[in-house]
Amino acid sequence: MPKVRERGSTHVYKVNKISKEEVDSMVARCIYEEPPFCNAACPLKLDTRAMLKAAAAGDFKKALQLYEKATPFPLVLSAGCEAPCEAKCRLCERGEGLAIRAVEQAVARFGGPPRAGSVFRTKKKKTVAVIGSGLFALFLAGELEKKAYPTTVFCEQADAEGFLRAAAGFLDEAAFALELERLKKKDLQFVFGCKATAAFLEETRPAFDVVCVSEDVFTELFPEAAVAPELMFCEGETLVTGSGSGVMSAAHNAKKAALTVDRLAQNLDPANMRGQEDPFQSRLYTDLSEATDLTRVPAAGELYTREEAVREAGRCIQCHCEECMKSCAYLQHYKKYPGLLGREIYNNTQIIMGDHQLNKPMNACTLCGQCTVVCPNGFDMAHICASSRRNMVSTDKMPLAPHEFALMDMMFSNGEAFLARPQPGFTQCRYLFFPGCQAVAIAPETVKAAYQDLCSRLEGGVALMLGCCGAICDWAGRYEMQESTREFLLNELAKLGNPAIIAGCPTCRKELTESVGGEITGIWDILDKIGLPEGARGLDRPVALHDACGARGDAHTQEVIRRLAEKLGITLAETEDSGDRSPCCGYGGLTAYANPEVADEITQKALERSDAPFLSYCMACRDRFARQGRESRHLLELIYGTDAGAPPDISEKRYNRLTLKKELLWELWHEETAEMKLDYELHYTDEARQLMDSRMILTDDVIAVMNAYRENGEAILESETGLAVACLRIGNATFWVKFTEDGPDSYTVHRAYSHRMNVVRREG
Amino acid sequence: MAIDRTYYSIDPEGKLQCMKCRVPLVKGKAKFLYLGNGFPVELPVCPVCGFVYVPEELALGKVLSVEKALEDK
Repeated sequence: MPKVRERGSTHVYKVNKISKEEVDSMVARCIYEEPPFCNAACPLKLDTRAMLKAAAAGDFKKALQLYEKATPFPLVLSAGCEAPCEAKCRLCERGEGLAIRAVEQAVARFGGPPRAGSVFRTKKKKTVAVIGSGLFALFLAGELEKKAYPTTVFCEQADAEGFLRAAAGFLDEAAFALELERLKKKDLQFVFGCKATAAFLEETRPAFDVVCVSEDVFTELFPEAAVAPELMFCEGETLVTGSGSGVMSAAHNAKKAALTVDRLAQNLDPANMRGQEDPFQSRLYTDLSEATDLTRVPAAGELYTREEAVREAGRCIQCHCEECMKSCAYLQHYKKYPGLLGREIYNNTQIIMGDHQLNKPMNACTLCGQCTVVCPNGFDMAHICASSRRNMVSTDKMPLAPHEFALMDMMFSNGEAFLARPQPGFTQCRYLFFPGCQAVAIAPETVKAAYQDLCSRLEGGVALMLGCCGAICDWAGRYEMQESTREFLLNELAKLGNPAIIAGCPTCRKELTESVGGEITGIWDILDKIGLPEGARGLDRPVALHDACGARGDAHTQEVIRRLAEKLGITLAETEDSGDRSPCCGYGGLTAYANPEVADEITQKALERSDAPFLSYCMACRDRFARQGRESRHLLELIYGTDAGAPPDISEKRYNRLTLKKELLWELWHEETAEMKLDYELHYTDEARQLMDSRMILTDDVIAVMNAYRENGEAILESETGLAVACLRIGNATFWVKFTEDGPDSYTVHRAYSHRMNVVRREG
Repeated sequence: MAIDRTYYSIDPEGKLQCMKCRVPLVKGKAKFLYLGNGFPVELPVCPVCGFVYVPEELALGKVLSVEKALEDK
């Protein structure tokens, strides 16, 4: 028999890059689901926040429904409740807390007439007796009715009115009449005029599955017996009982007793599985900065009118902790709080067979760390997403498509465009300038000026290294590639005699500190020390400073940047969320490659902070802002009086890297590089350029297709458009180019597209 | 995920011509391969040299959505 090999799960668990325990502890930091303080303080667990919201909207019917979830007799409770919730209202810290009880009274009065339960409601099979009267008996009977137990109440009184008056005689006449109507509508059996004697109890007991008695009956019949106060249960007599010194405690004890009945009816230990029954301290965080209405609405009469109650309920600030979601466009896009999203992303990594539906959100986080700073508990979404990506890579489940372009770009930076040389005239240098791959791609002139400046003003020689620090593969979760990049850089640094690295970019500095180690200085530190070069000048209008996520938590760098800006004579405009709270520009975590839509939203959100031109000290930030049409400058551009101009497209970025390498090799080291010249003319329409940039197709890809076409002549002619279409499989994608042949050896590219699926001819 | 063959059947109707062989493309059999999966389809092919044509709408439409679905498996 053939053996069926199943894909084992053990591998997945063995290679986990993030443990379940780690995720559990991370997720527990998110307090979005914590109850508001009023709710946590309520022994009856009334959803105060929702009730107040409904009342504020004038929907008293809904408000009453919510209130009735907490108690079967809203008028009795609201008339006598001690309202521990009011003391816990966060508004108390700024002014007068909400008059919750007064609103509850209004809700109970204006929420509509009492309604009878549905006739279709299925009743439970087990029966319960409640013997006695008083507040506890009243609430318990109500709670049991809510739980659908066929309940019989045995009381001394002659009728329901007497039973209610014995419990809640303190109600005013209107409220009493309304509550009596509610009691009568409840699905309860009454046996009036019963004297609760021991004989009566013994006679009644066999007919019911669970028997409950009021406190006075219990103390009269069993003066010696002990009652477990947590369970409202006397084990010796198998009786559920309880007391209450006030309305609140009677209602609370009745709730506990009803749960005990529930457990007993199912033959379960009443002590287990009881959940959170008592008030507790909520961990919720509330931002009180927007709480402005700090005075209670006064009541004209004794009680609130409907209108007064609506106004008072409207003062509720609806405590929610959404600190991270307020600041992060990524979380706003997915409309999920991070505790939930983080859990789902982790679960996504544990899928062995089936769709990984959370791949997109996992790859859309910029890993910038802003949430960790703004969260009152330091929730770290970046850690969850980055570990999950590594996990997916380790289990071979990570799709290559979202990150392939960026990874190829990195290989290009550390391959064809890589350059490592000591300063001319030196064999070993004291320093090494590492501008970073984005600076070289976006502002090559600035890099050149900075290098020449460092060479001329620093003692001991400054080597140069043009390449990628490894952040790209780190963000992509490709840990093996990250390790090989580390070895590559270590090897290249060793060849140069391990000079002290001067990083041009905060992300490179962070990444290199973690990978190659040692003391890595930012170029800003050097310039702060040796002074600005001549001619360094800021802009003549206020600018908004955008702090890079690479410098988050690095107060020193942030301070030095501000000092340099001051030296440049720059006026900084007030910008929300700066320093450690700064949002990402949209480039971090490869979001711009994996999910351009979310990346654009993130950039927009960052730009919303100010109308002024943006000043940044990371070239990727400069580029993202400029791409959105905002005036955007890098600090080094101002220092060296260069202007990188309009943002380059993806092909120009590569061209810039190669050109700078070629120029520097020629000008500084007098080395000539072989130039690849096309032996034909190739033009692009504007539309073709735009399409290529958005579809991540390089001019190199188009040239490769055209070279192949010129060699083999394979192409299709579309008669409708008159365009020729040629194609070539390069790496993991097939590229198609639509072009016209303008003359001998001259072509114009009109469109280009690609797909990753390979297409082959099929026989038969 | 099976690809509907009829959806992928693009009849060239003589609008497309192989520039190398100078003959109109005809409806022919082809196969898409991706991440260990294969889907038989019908596409315009050159009857002489066998060049298979994937139109832009197809590459950016159905082909892209199937790629994405397979990548998330």
